Order: sequence, then structure tokens, then C-alpha cells
Amino acid sequence: MKPLYLVIISLLCAVIAVAAPVSAAPADITVVSSSLDPPVLMKGDTGTLTVVIQNNGAETVAIKSARLYGSGVVPLSEPYPSVGEIGAGNSKTFTFTVRADGGEGTFYPQFVLDFRDGAGSLRYPVPVQVENTPLSASVIGKPDAFAAGRTAEITVRVGNPRPNAASGVQVIPQGTGFSATPTGGFIGALAPDASGTVVFNLTPTTETAVTFQVVWRNGINTHTADLVLPVAFGEDKRQADPIITNVEVAPVAGGYRIVGDVMNAGLESARSVLVTAGAPATPIDPFRVYVVGTLDPDDISSFEVTFKADATTTEIPVVVEYRDDDGNRYAATTMVGLGGTTAPLEERDGEFPVAGIVVVVLVALGIAGAIYYSWKRT
Amino acid sequence: METGFLRVLLNPGRFFEARMQDEPSLKIPALIALVIGLIGVVSAVLMANITIAMLPDEMQGLGVLITIFSAAIAFIGGLLVWVIYGFVFYLVSMVFKGSGDLKRTLEFTGYGLLPQVFGGIIGTFFTYQLLSGLTVPPMTSPEQIAEFSESLVSILTTDPLAQIAGLVSILFMIWSANIWVFGMKYARNLSTRDAVLTVGIPIGLYILYTLITLAGWL
Repeated sequence: MKPLYLVIISLLCAVIAVAAPVSAAPADITVVSSSLDPPVLMKGDTGTLTVVIQNNGAETVAIKSARLYGSGVVPLSEPYPSVGEIGAGNSKTFTFTVRADGGEGTFYPQFVLDFRDGAGSLRYPVPVQVENTPLSASVIGKPDAFAAGRTAEITVRVGNPRPNAASGVQVIPQGTGFSATPTGGFIGALAPDASGTVVFNLTPTTETAVTFQVVWRNGINTHTADLVLPVAFGEDKRQADPIITNVEVAPVAGGYRIVGDVMNAGLESARSVLVTAGAPATPIDPFRVYVVGTLDPDDISSFEVTFKADATTTEIPVVVEYRDDDGNRYAATTMVGLGGTTAPLEERDGEFPVAGIVVVVLVALGIAGAIYYSWKRT
Repeated sequence: METGFLRVLLNPGRFFEARMQDEPSLKIPALIALVIGLIGVVSAVLMANITIAMLPDEMQGLGVLITIFSAAIAFIGGLLVWVIYGFVFYLVSMVFKGSGDLKRTLEFTGYGLLPQVFGGIIGTFFTYQLLSGLTVPPMTSPEQIAEFSESLVSILTTDPLAQIAGLVSILFMIWSANIWVFGMKYARNLSTRDAVLTVGIPIGLYILYTLITLAGWL
């Protein structure tokens, strides 16, 4: 039996002699780098964690498996059940898909390498940062007041307060009761602490709330943030303000005539200015409507309107209609008292009394004949 | 055609020549002036109604007085116009060394007012047409009444109907002037030229004033 023992021992020694250099150096395996895409996750984000190891020793190292585990940031992909050998000086990359399930903070999921033959394992905590700070949006330009149908220029600035870049940033106005041009603004990538602006031409039809939705991607994850802009109609401090002054009311056949001046006391031009008499007055010829045209700020123009009204009417509105640069129509009304200054006559069908002319002609002919006859008989 | 009023209107030369044979009489001329006054009363009452409508409610009681006063003024106005024209012609004819007494001048002036009867009737018709379409707004203060009165005058002078009425009155005035020329020729013993000037100067000025008023230049 003694030779048999010797053979066994020799074989064991041979095996040990062959195997010992391979499994004897797990300490030479080191994690040389780890990275996460995106570099900073938000809660619920999915990212790609990449770990690179390198064999710094002089011998080949046999690795059984590689896996990742932890809480807060959990792996979604399967572990590497059979890795194999890694030669001296070589490196190997392991990629895991992870998801941030926890809250904010820095998490350390464990990267574990199990060596063969009970040579132990390598544990490496990989830091993963999770931060939920969204992109910030703010309105940096808007008119003092909105008006129905009037186009307003809205400037939205989007900033990136996150520690990593955001990509595919765009701003989309949402809601009802308005139209916007463009329908969406694209900013693109935003580096940390950078910002971009988008300008919209917003035309509200009713009082509403416009939501500017900021959409961006963090890696492969899409996020949104809303910026709500209430649109309440009010008086624009710069808008045209036609004022009627120097009004004189005079009666004319069939009604009244109002002459006066209309002045633009606003800071913007009033275009297509029309002056007419409003109800209960009824405009009549020759000046049913007086077309003033464009009134620049501080410009003044005279006007004249003619109308008829009931005897019980003591004042009537003089209506000034005008448009802004966008073509929106406005109306300003000034009440003008008729008082006792009026003595309206009923309109005689709006025509010169032809019968009266006939009477004049006949009378003239008759008298001329009488005079001629009287001198002829003298 | 050769008798009565038609003779005055169509052949005043012969008429006045014949009248010179009789003593001056103011009965018929006064009657003509009174008829003109009566016609004027109608227009005055129409105008008075407008005035009454302007008054506040508490002053409506004055309406009757206003109407009576206006009618009286209009009635007397016919006589006044007759006398004024007579005196004016008498005075102007003195420039042309006219001779003849004032009574004869007044008599022939009164006959010359006959066309004004027809003119007055037509004028009253136009006045009615004009004022019937007038609506008076409610007024509460004397200032409003004063402004209304001014505007009423403005209307009565600028309305086409009023202008036609003015033209008609001018035509009848020309007719009267034609009769007065013959009347002054005989009443004041003037040449035809002087008679034309005696009548033409004051009547011409009156017509000129009326035309300017109708044209709205005043």
C-alpha cells in the first residue's frame, strides 16, 4: 500500500502545484472603475451601472460569478453566473441595469465577485447618487395684462439645477382657451447650472391657465415639470386710449351733428379708428361713421358724426372703435349729453323736398307772369 | 281781370291811377293787413306750442298766456308791417322829392301787401310742415331752454323746407314790390325810375338780408 499512498500524494502535490498559482491570488483583482449612466438618478429612474475590474497580478485568476445587490438601488438585470478566468493584466467589464427604488441620497449597491475554489470573494460598494431635483422653469417675460384675442409674447426660461446634464429638454404649452406659436419649444441638452429660453406667442380667447410642461430625459428616463401661468384679462397699461374732447352738439335737419376731437392718450398706436354714434342713437347720413384711420400716441384728429335720437334721449354714447397691431378690435365709449341743445326734426325720408321745389318754381313762374303782365299793360 | 284785387295784382298801374281819382281810404288796406295778421296768428300759435312744450311742468300754466300773447303780437304785426313799409317808402321817396300825403302812401302800401296774403298762406303751410316734425326733448333748466331756442333758430334757417319757405316769401315780396313801384309812382308823384328806387332800395336790402340768412352766412 505504501507505493499507492505515494502516488496519491504525488498526484495531490501535482494538482496543488498546478492549481496553486491560479487560485492563490484573488487579491490581485481590483475594481478599477465604476460608472453610472445617467450619472445621477432620480427616483424610479433606470440606469446602467458599469464596473470594470482588472487583474493586477502575474497569474490568471478564475472567477466564478459576478453579481450586484443592494437596497435603494436594485439591479434589474441577471447576475453573471459564470465569468471564467481573467488573465494577468487583463480587465473585464460588468454591466448591470439598476433602478432607483428608494429615496434621495447616495446608495451603495454591492458588486460581488466570487472566486473559484473557495478562494473567497471580492465585495465592492458602488456609489450611486439619487437626486429628485427637477428642472426649474420660470416665466421671465410676459405682458402687463392679457386681453382676449390679443397676442402676448411669453418667454419661458428652463434651468438645470441638477448635478448632471439633462437632454432633450423641450417646453410644451398645454391647456384650453388659447393658441400658441410655436406649439412647442426645443432647448436640447442642458448642462448642470445652465439654462435655455423659449419664446411663445400666446393668444388667449378666454381667461384660462396655461401650463408650460417642461419635458426632459435623464438617461433613458423621461421626466416632466409643469409651470402654470394664469391668464387673467386686464387693462394693458400701454394700450391705445382714445379720448374724445372738444365735443359740440348741434341740431341738424332730421337729427343731430356731433363734432369733436379724438386723441390717443395711450402709448401704443390705435389703428383703423372709427367714430360713430351708439344706441339709442341711430346714425344717419352724411356721417354715419367717421373714419379717422391710424392714431399714433398723442395724435389728435377731428371727427363728425350725424345721427337721430328720440326726444326722450338726453345723452348718447359716442363709440370709438379701433384695432391694435395684431388686428384685435376694441371699443371705447364716451357719453355725450344732448340736453336742451337739441331740436330734432323728423327726417323727411332723407330727401330734399321735391314738392317744395315744384311749389317754388310754380310760384316764381306765376309771379314773373304777373309782373310781366303788369308792365305790359302800363 | 280788370276789377278788384286781381286788378291790383295784375295791373297795378291802372288800378292806382284809378284810385287817385278818389279820396284816400285805409279801410281795405287795413283789412288786407289784418288778414295778413290773422294768417300770422296761425304760425305764431304753432310756434307758441313749441315754446310751451319746452316749459317745465310747473310752468305749463303759462301756456295759455303765451299763446294769447303770441297771437296778439302776430295779429298786430300785420298792421305794424303795413305802417312800417308805408313810412319807409314815404321817407325814401322824400329823397327823390316825392310829393303826396302819407295817407295815400299808406293806402297804396296796404294794397301792395295783397300778395303777402298768398305768401302768408303758403308760408304757414311750410311752417306747419316744419314744426309738425319737431320733437321737443324734456328740459328742466332755463339754460337748456335757451340752448334749445338757439338750436331751433338754427334749424329753422338751415332746414331745406325752411329755405324753400324763405324763397317763397322772397318771391311774394318781389311781387309786392312790383305793386308798390306803381303805388309810389302815383302816391308820391314819382317818375318810374324814382319809384323803382324808392321801393327797390329798402326791399332789396330786406331780400339781401333774407338771402344771407337762408344761406347760413349769419
